[in-house]
Amino acid sequence: MTAVPSPPAQPPAAAPARAAGLSRAVPMPRGRRPTELLMLVFAIGVVLFAYASVGLGLNGKVPSSLPEYGLGFAVIVLLAHLAVRRLVPWADPLLLPLAALMNGLGIVMIYRLQEVGRNGNAGSLSVPLSASATFIQLVYTGLGVAAFIAVLLVVREPRLLQRYTYTAGVVGLVLLALPALLPAHISEVAGTGARIQVAFGGFSFQPEELAKLALAVFFAGYLVTKRDVLALAGRRVLGIDLPRARDLGPVLIAWAASLLILIFEDDIGTSALFFGVFVAMLYIATQRTSWLLIGFFLFLGGSYAISLMSSHVGERITCWLHPFVGSNPSNACYQPVQGLEGMGVGGILGTGLGHGQPFWTPLVQNDFIVTAFGEELGLTGLMALILVYGLMVQRGMRAAVSVKDPFSKLLAGGLAFMLALQVFVIVGGVTGLIPLTGITTPFLSQGGSSLISSWMAIALLLRISDAARRPAPQPIQDEGMTQVVRAAGAGEGAG
Amino acid sequence: MNRALFRLSLACMVMFVLLLLNINYVQAFETSKLAGEPGNVRTFYQQFEFQRGSIVAAGGGQDVTIAESLPDKGSSGMYHRYYPYGAVYAPVTGYASMFGKTGIEGAEDKYLSGTAPGLAVHNLIGLLTGKAKQGAKVFLTISPRAQQAAYRALAAEYSSGTGGHSGAAVAIDPSTGAILAMASYPSFNPNLYATLNGRRLDRIDRRLRHDPSQPLLNRAIEETYPPGSTFKIVTASAAFSTGKVASPDTTFPAPQPLRLPNGNFLNNDAGETCGDGHPPLWFAFAMSCNTAYGGLGIKVGGPTLRSYADRFGFNNPSLTTPLAVAPSVFPHITDPSLTALSSIGQYDDQVTPLQEAMLAATVANGGTLMRPYLVQQVQAPDLSTVSSAHPSVLSRPISARVAGYLTTMMTDVTHNPAGTAYATAGPQATGLDIAGKTGTAETGSSVGLDDAVFTCFAPASNPKIAVGVIIKGGGFGADAAAPIAVQIIKAYLGVR
Repeated sequence: MTAVPSPPAQPPAAAPARAAGLSRAVPMPRGRRPTELLMLVFAIGVVLFAYASVGLGLNGKVPSSLPEYGLGFAVIVLLAHLAVRRLVPWADPLLLPLAALMNGLGIVMIYRLQEVGRNGNAGSLSVPLSASATFIQLVYTGLGVAAFIAVLLVVREPRLLQRYTYTAGVVGLVLLALPALLPAHISEVAGTGARIQVAFGGFSFQPEELAKLALAVFFAGYLVTKRDVLALAGRRVLGIDLPRARDLGPVLIAWAASLLILIFEDDIGTSALFFGVFVAMLYIATQRTSWLLIGFFLFLGGSYAISLMSSHVGERITCWLHPFVGSNPSNACYQPVQGLEGMGVGGILGTGLGHGQPFWTPLVQNDFIVTAFGEELGLTGLMALILVYGLMVQRGMRAAVSVKDPFSKLLAGGLAFMLALQVFVIVGGVTGLIPLTGITTPFLSQGGSSLISSWMAIALLLRISDAARRPAPQPIQDEGMTQVVRAAGAGEGAG
Repeated sequence: MNRALFRLSLACMVMFVLLLLNINYVQAFETSKLAGEPGNVRTFYQQFEFQRGSIVAAGGGQDVTIAESLPDKGSSGMYHRYYPYGAVYAPVTGYASMFGKTGIEGAEDKYLSGTAPGLAVHNLIGLLTGKAKQGAKVFLTISPRAQQAAYRALAAEYSSGTGGHSGAAVAIDPSTGAILAMASYPSFNPNLYATLNGRRLDRIDRRLRHDPSQPLLNRAIEETYPPGSTFKIVTASAAFSTGKVASPDTTFPAPQPLRLPNGNFLNNDAGETCGDGHPPLWFAFAMSCNTAYGGLGIKVGGPTLRSYADRFGFNNPSLTTPLAVAPSVFPHITDPSLTALSSIGQYDDQVTPLQEAMLAATVANGGTLMRPYLVQQVQAPDLSTVSSAHPSVLSRPISARVAGYLTTMMTDVTHNPAGTAYATAGPQATGLDIAGKTGTAETGSSVGLDDAVFTCFAPASNPKIAVGVIIKGGGFGADAAAPIAVQIIKAYLGVR
């Protein structure tokens, strides 16, 4: 990897500006912004159609809020597009439209759930959404896109983030530990026992969402400097090169930290996410399969030990294995059972937006929002959503593969894998593939913290993708410019 | 690092494929299992959000809707069940409530609710064309005339005289097994169960469940009674078929009393003598002499009697119409004294009113017992037939010759002035050509009268209908049960 020297940093705007006069003479590789705009318009169209469809499904009328909210959403994501045009013109054209599509569909579902029990619609939610939930989610979208633009503005060159490796590490850990350190009435999400938020004056914020990004930066910076040592082979057991015992330190620390999250915040999903991302990035950095195995067994062992101690975790495993046994459906496993039964009602084609009964699932607007999609859009719609996530991950991985700077490579790989793991943990959890662990669904779940951090992650991926796809300054360019100057100055004959 | 990234991308792909496979499993293969999970609240409310199919009594050339779904006034978009005739058809329709379904509502639920596999294509077309989902219509073999008459007659018997005699009546078309009437009294108003108010429903259900008159009990098929002398049909069938006696004209000792092998005495009903004490079998049948048929039973033997009873439909726990029918019982006996009691329908013999009708139907149909059934046809909302009944033979208990003997003997019961039912079901009294057998069953309890039983078919020469009636504590079969059978036959045949 390091054998290929990365090109010297070029002031981003300088070369095109100076070369402006000869763009006709020497064609430059082009960004894909028109494609992005087209896809974005398509995504906006899908979202507006879905929004209208909710109203038609519920009471046969196009929602009166469609023009204002639709326009608001369109303006917000088009602003993001303008920022991309200006700040990362070479970036991947698909990531922004995909993110906008998911965000928009999330708003649509929150509108659908907000209408439950309102305006003569059926049902009642266990925790009703406020009448302005859709508007608030739209505001969060605006904040998310603002954060997205801010990241693009501040992080002009991805590898510059490497300078802040340890700062990011400290910030990440503090954010992560914050809810555990604060009194329970501030940090506990009502009724769940999970201490993952900081709440004050009606607003709540989940610091772990930002901690995710900070820690990804920290992992990337740390591993990029330590990877040569960590890759050193120790003993060879069963055909696998084990690392040296003294190098186990970092992975053990990350493991212990994730277990501490689990114990103090009762949040197995976040714990799995952090540790999984750390191990994956360790693997990218060292290419040692042994790290994956060590990580995997450490996590299993830790989770097993915790499951014996915590009734909460044991309950999750029971609901995964035997959701329908005995009194489970009406007691401990009520929520997952409702989610599954909703998906069952949806079947292959779904009930149609507004025609299902997603309101039976408690807190469906948070962790279980994909089951609401499964119920109303059916298997077909849910598969489309998962494939959109898959595409986002794939575009992130692609950026990681094509960028040359090792730090950026690690960061992009880590962020893409984080998205994949988060989707796997939450969608797999609510659909009964793996034990359920509470974690937000990127872009879809109600709430601002997750939305903002997801948009920031997309911004980082776009920045790295831009760095990867930006054409290298061409050596002949200077020569050509001299020729042009010569031609322009004295004419052909004088030369 | 790219090699690791590539492998990690593969790992991500595997994770997404697993997610996709899992949701395919949940949403494409597990849907019906999930829908059937007890307490699935979505399935539960879905049933009220579309129009459940109607139930139509379509026997005897009349089509009368006896259960339908109407839009609920209280909650928009919901339907509730309506039973226009209330209690009359309750033993047949049962009820469809929020918490459960009984009767045809339960047995044919997959059609009425439109979930049967045969309706899948229709539902899909409805979905694509945007038509509201509708259940299939179920057409029953029940004849509205016969059912109304049965219900009215049972109600009249309940409130007559000393009163309080519950009972049930079943009518069958002997040639097909189609059930023409199935009435039970006291009954209940199934509209009470149609409420969409859970607390109200719970209160109503608790009240009816604890009502001492047992209105929810469908006595026609869920309750058994001693058959009394009507069982002599089986005893005579076994005796003729096994050749123990040659014909109805064969004489047989009928002492009064008959001394049983265990030293007890068997008496005729009122201690009367039976003819000259050595009467022909038809006479003993018409007079219903216990001693002659007790002796005949001993001669045939317990195990043989049981095998004939089985062929007539006794001891069959799996009989459905499609409503589950309580098995009628003829016990395992070898002791001759008990056999004598069992052969006149006492001791441990038990029958449902449906079984009574099946006895007469077998004789009426030349010895072939058709499987009784209630559902004639199921019709999809587009009027196409989803399923229709094919009459089938349940068993062939006796030959046509023996059936002929029994027809003569049963005709003597009503036509011969000495016959037990001459006064109440004879041609003079009714203007009908009925062949039947009375039963007056001692229940072993000192309180109240005997159970009145009557089984018959008409017209005797060309049977169209077979009827079984049992009135608990009704006394003489000829007095309490036979007039009810006559009412049903009159209504069904359209005779005034």
